[in-house]
Parts: sequence; structure tokens; C-alpha cells
Amino acid sequence: MIDEPEPTALLEAMASTLTDQVVPATSGGAQHAARVVANLCRVLARDRAADAEATLLALRDLLGNDGTAPDLVAELDQMIGRGERLDEILPLLLADATRRAEVAKPGYTDHGAT
Amino acid sequence: MARPDPAAIAAGLGELLGHRVEITGAASVGAQRSTLFIDIHDGATATPAVAQISSSVINAAPVTQEATLLGAAHGAGVPVPRVLAATEALAGVGAPALVSERIEGRTIPRHILRALDDGLDGDALAFQCGEAMARIHAISPSELPSELEAMPCVTFVEHYTELLELLPTPRPAIRYGLRWLADHPIDASELTLVHGDFRNGNIIVDDGLAAVLDWELCQRSDPMQDLAWMCTRTWRFGNDDRPVGGFGSFADLRAGYEAAGGHVRMDALHWWMVARAVWWAVGLANQGVAFTSGLTDSIVLAASGRRVPELEYDLLRLISDGPEF
Repeated sequence: MIDEPEPTALLEAMASTLTDQVVPATSGGAQHAARVVANLCRVLARDRAADAEATLLALRDLLGNDGTAPDLVAELDQMIGRGERLDEILPLLLADATRRAEVAKPGYTDHGAT
Repeated sequence: MARPDPAAIAAGLGELLGHRVEITGAASVGAQRSTLFIDIHDGATATPAVAQISSSVINAAPVTQEATLLGAAHGAGVPVPRVLAATEALAGVGAPALVSERIEGRTIPRHILRALDDGLDGDALAFQCGEAMARIHAISPSELPSELEAMPCVTFVEHYTELLELLPTPRPAIRYGLRWLADHPIDASELTLVHGDFRNGNIIVDDGLAAVLDWELCQRSDPMQDLAWMCTRTWRFGNDDRPVGGFGSFADLRAGYEAAGGHVRMDALHWWMVARAVWWAVGLANQGVAFTSGLTDSIVLAASGRRVPELEYDLLRLISDGPEF
């Protein structure tokens, strides 16, 4: 069974309601909170649409095993701490951070170098 | 912590200053300190001033130390507000308080950036920021409080590696940043007074740099740290083509710094740009952890946790490509 409206559409509608109706009707801390919540709704809508598998597949490929995401991330973290395979790891981390930064703030990674 | 009652703050400030004090507005009410506009009444005269009341739960540097540093900065020719009074425990409130003169101008970053369209010369402002930084860095060590925290680059890596271990989930990108910092050591021999939070958001701007604010993160460190933080992408507020605070060019910051006697070391600047991206990534992650661990129900802090990827992206690009200038 699928309930409608589906979650992404609801999150977009929640964001619009907050931005169009609640923000203009409030001020100070409440207005700031409404803006923050509206933004979080849009972040979550993008989060649902993002490719969550890409990093997991890249990690499995790099580390050569089929572990779960938390185990692979922990293994990667330890390898970096030991200074191993740093040149191979950088592109994987950059691709992952690019996907996640675009969820957090669309267009953020259009700007190349910082 | 419950916010102190405004009437109690006004009474405490009145006792500190020896005159009746009226709170006329709030410039900002942050998690760590509130900045209030006040009038100090002396007979028929009302002198506008600013009172900063710290949260007593935050373990920050003493405000009396901040007052000493503001005095030293003023003596060195850095534009700063004159301190009128400072106490570690405001009577009736208990929190540290710092009262200073009020300097007119823009403080909100987006207002400063909007003024660029109305004739504000952003490159001249970057030059003035460079001059102010060089003057801060030239202050004699004998004028600095002996208890001022030292943060040379080696200590930075050790300290932030420890903080990373305290986060509940692994952060490989931040780990990578710390690994890179450890593997690319810089000359650590030059330690000066460093403002620590010199950025768009902590300056007052009229037709140029009117004042440098918020001296509570001062430390003895590598002077390149201040230039690096001013160029951090977060403080450009979307004006990414102007690396200095979103308003100016690096060439102008550098020219101002050198005109006032400073010397730029590009390798150290690069190192500190990565370091401050790590610093800010850990800071944002910790704000998120404060929410997930139940220390706070603030949605603003929860949202901060979701900004970590921006800093991870920035620090990885800085490592792979270097600064853009």
C-alpha cells in the first residue's frame, strides 16, 4: 500500500507553508526557527532523492569486502588514521562529500576550489 | 540555562558603571553571549554603549583578559571599541559582562555585502582588514596576558584529533584533514597574538573598517591563522568570487597586511585554511551531537549537524587543489 501524498511532496509542501505563511507572521527567534525548519524540510526531500548507495558501492570496491556501511566507514577511518592508501581514498571522500554537500545546500559544489 | 531577567541585568550594569542603565535593544542573543544596546544615564546625558553578557555555563576566556587585549589592540592602532567596564561576575546575575562604547555601522554580514552595490569599496575593506591583522600580530608578547592560550600547529592537530575521537560516529573526511595536517608540517616558530575569530560577522563597517569585535577566541598562534579564517568559504556568504569575507580580493588583504609590516607565508596559510575547515567541521558536528545526545532540543543546533558536509567538501578541495589564490 502506498499513502498519498508521498513523503517528498509533503516535505516540499511543509517547507512552502513555513516560508510563505509562518515566516511572514512571526519575528525574532520564532521566525528564525521557522526558516531553519523550512530549510530542513527541503534538505530531507533532497536526502530522499540522493543516491545513498554510491558511497557504499565505492567503499566495497576500495576495501574489497561486502561489509555493512558502518563497518566499512569504520575500516576506512582507521586506514586514514594509519596513513594507508591516502591517494586512493581522497577521490572517494570527495565524491561522497560532494553528494552530501549538494543535499545540504544545492549548488554548493559548483564552486570548484575554495 | 534560563536567561537572566533584563531588569536584573540593567541593575547589575548600573552598579558596575555607577550610573543608571537602560537596556534599549538587543543586537544579538546567542548561545554563548548576549549583546545588548544600553544607554548610560548621567544626569541629562545618555551615552549609548554595548553590553555583552556571557553565559556562565560556557567555559570561555575571562572577559577581563578580553578587556586587556582590547586595550593592547587599541594601542597598536587596531580599530576597536573602547572598554568602559568589565567584570567576571555581574552583581545580581553572576555572569561575566563587558561594556564598551557603541560604534555605528553595519555588523550583519549580508548588510555589509549588500553595501557593495551602494558604493562600499570591498577591496579597500580587505586592505584595511589586512592592516588590522598585521597590527594585531605585531603586538609585543610582553603586553599579552600570561594565561593566554597557546595553539601552535602541532597542538592544534593533537587537540582536534582528541575531539574527533569523542564524536559518536567516524568522520573519515575530517580524519583525512587531520592526517594531511600532520603529514604536511609548517614552520611553527612564529607565535603571535591571534584574534582567532576575525571574519565577516565580527567587524563593524561604515565606509570602511570601523571596528574589529569579539576578541574572546584570542590565542598565541601562527599569524596566518587569522588570514586563513577570514578567507574561509563560510564567511563569504555565497559571494565565492570574493575570498575575503565575500567582499574583497586576497591580493588586497595581502597588500594591506604587508603594508602594515606583516609577512605572508602561503604554505602556512594553506595549512591553516585546512585546519580551520577541520575546526569548523568538528564544531558543527558537535552542535549536532548536542541535539542527538539530548543536551539541547534546539532545532538550530540540530540543523548545524547537517552542515558538516559543506566543510568536509571545502577541506577536501583545499587538500586536492590548494587555495584558489
